[in-house]
Amino acid sequence: MLNLIRNEWMKLWHKKATWIMTIMLVVILIGVSGVMKWAESTFDQADNQPSWEENQAENQAFLTTQLADPNIDDSSKKQLEKELAISQYRLDKNLEPMDPNGREQSVLDSSFLLSLVILFVVIAAAGIVAAEFSQGTIKMLLSRPVKRWKILTSKYVTTLLFAVLLTIITFISSMIASYLFYDSSGGVILDYRNGSVEEVSYWGRVFALYALQFVGVVVYTTFAFTIGSVFRSSSLAIGLSIFLRFVGPQIVFFLSEYEIAKYILFTHTDLTGYITGNMFIPGITWPFSIAVLTVYMLIFLFISFWSFTKRDVTA
Amino acid sequence: MEQQPIVELKQLTKFIGKKKIIDNLNLQLFPGQITGFLGPNGSGKTTTIRMMVGLTQPSSGEVIVEGQTLHDDFEEAMSKVGVIVENPEMYKYMSGWKNLLHFARMNNSITKERITEVVEQVGMQNRIHEKVSSYSLGMRQRLGLAQALLHRPKFLILDEPTNGLDPAGIREFRTYLSKIAKEEGVSVFVSSHMLSEIELMCDRIAVIQNGKLINIREMNQKEEAHYYFEAQPAEQVRELLVTHGLVLEDKGPGFLSKVEQDKIPGIIQAMVAANIQIFAVQPFRKTLEDQFLEMTGGGQIAESHKK
Repeated sequence: MLNLIRNEWMKLWHKKATWIMTIMLVVILIGVSGVMKWAESTFDQADNQPSWEENQAENQAFLTTQLADPNIDDSSKKQLEKELAISQYRLDKNLEPMDPNGREQSVLDSSFLLSLVILFVVIAAAGIVAAEFSQGTIKMLLSRPVKRWKILTSKYVTTLLFAVLLTIITFISSMIASYLFYDSSGGVILDYRNGSVEEVSYWGRVFALYALQFVGVVVYTTFAFTIGSVFRSSSLAIGLSIFLRFVGPQIVFFLSEYEIAKYILFTHTDLTGYITGNMFIPGITWPFSIAVLTVYMLIFLFISFWSFTKRDVTA
Repeated sequence: MEQQPIVELKQLTKFIGKKKIIDNLNLQLFPGQITGFLGPNGSGKTTTIRMMVGLTQPSSGEVIVEGQTLHDDFEEAMSKVGVIVENPEMYKYMSGWKNLLHFARMNNSITKERITEVVEQVGMQNRIHEKVSSYSLGMRQRLGLAQALLHRPKFLILDEPTNGLDPAGIREFRTYLSKIAKEEGVSVFVSSHMLSEIELMCDRIAVIQNGKLINIREMNQKEEAHYYFEAQPAEQVRELLVTHGLVLEDKGPGFLSKVEQDKIPGIIQAMVAANIQIFAVQPFRKTLEDQFLEMTGGGQIAESHKK
């Protein structure tokens, strides 16, 4: 199996597209930060910016008026109370929030750039089986003393490794960009857990956001891999995966009133809501999300393996 | 033949949809023997070969390699088989060497030395580190042969192997196949449209038509002797030959007839005595092409089927 994965890895990196994607990723990540920094520097800064304490006080006033609204529903009320508690805690303990233009916040935000990784890994995943068919190499590959499921497994593992690599590259590039273009701002992240406000470890938060975003990468990758291996067409797999990446959350939004929204895959592809508190489907929990994701992934992989091992090769 | 066959096809049948593409095919292939596989287009050659290498599942029947079926012991059985299916499609964006390394890793225990050895055997050592996209078709065929030989297979399946080779390459290839068949006892199964190639290369041919095996024969079987007579005047020749008890067949300006060799001098003497002008009396051997067309009833593609 190790040899098979080495083979797939070798083939992957002999394709120019792989190198282009990887280099593009680094260039885009660092370039975008640079452009943003430059754009920022052209704005005139107002001389007397309000202090963070003034900002918090203003925010509290706003939250309080919101809470006073008699038509407010339960979950919104909870959310507002939570924010109010955090804000109060900051003022009480004199804990400054992070500067949105600071280095730390920039690294945190970079986890959302894994969307770019989704795009690139989906391209690789869609082609890793389909390309063997379009090149005609599939008949050379399968007429070997290796069972088909082993070959498919090696391809799946290789795409996941590629996804891990690109994620690490994203993290490192974002760190480099943040250190190049932004100043350290200090500040503390606060969270509301079990009825009380707590300080959150900064690196723990960075890691958690990356890990949760990575779940989305794996889901879309697996989807593209399945479509690519079932229909043996990489363009279909890329198109469909990217389409769903953008349309999926819209579907969830439209169906959010209905019970069925809980069982849609795209409700669970962005789990960062559990941390940031922005889940738009109420009443779903961690174990539920994991269960739904697991079921979908097993279905995708089952279809992929079944089709790859049972069907005749006529390419 | 009392030898144990290396490969056995047992009642191999394949349906595609409701259509029977391969119908109850039985065939045994023996060590050291080169078997040619002939058939008109659409007769089921490629489907048969794909079933022999596990690319296509038979609807019923079995492919057995040294006692192990492809279905139950795929890895064991396939480790004895070397394959080139149609044009050997390689990874064009990698060098020939990397391609061989890739396929070597899919078998157990193929060393770098073995790869080097095979590269030399097929005469590719000068360009093996160049990308396959820069190779000519002939070189790709050589590389294809190299990957098929890497693991020293006992059974070699070749589909259209000489396609794209130049005449020197074809001869070299032929010599090489005979050599590994004779010296290493490899059983070789070659499908080709080039009948003259098959004729020169094979010990035995199997002919398939409409999914059925219609003939298996040894190539060195004693041919019935035919002779070709060309002499003038034609009418007189015809009379004379008929009186000698020959059944004639018109062939160009002369006649063709089945006749035993020892009768020929007598006939010639009689012709000379009758003052007939003789231009040619020569043994006539039917080419494989003639035999093939005879067996398959001409060139029509019988009952086409969609792939």
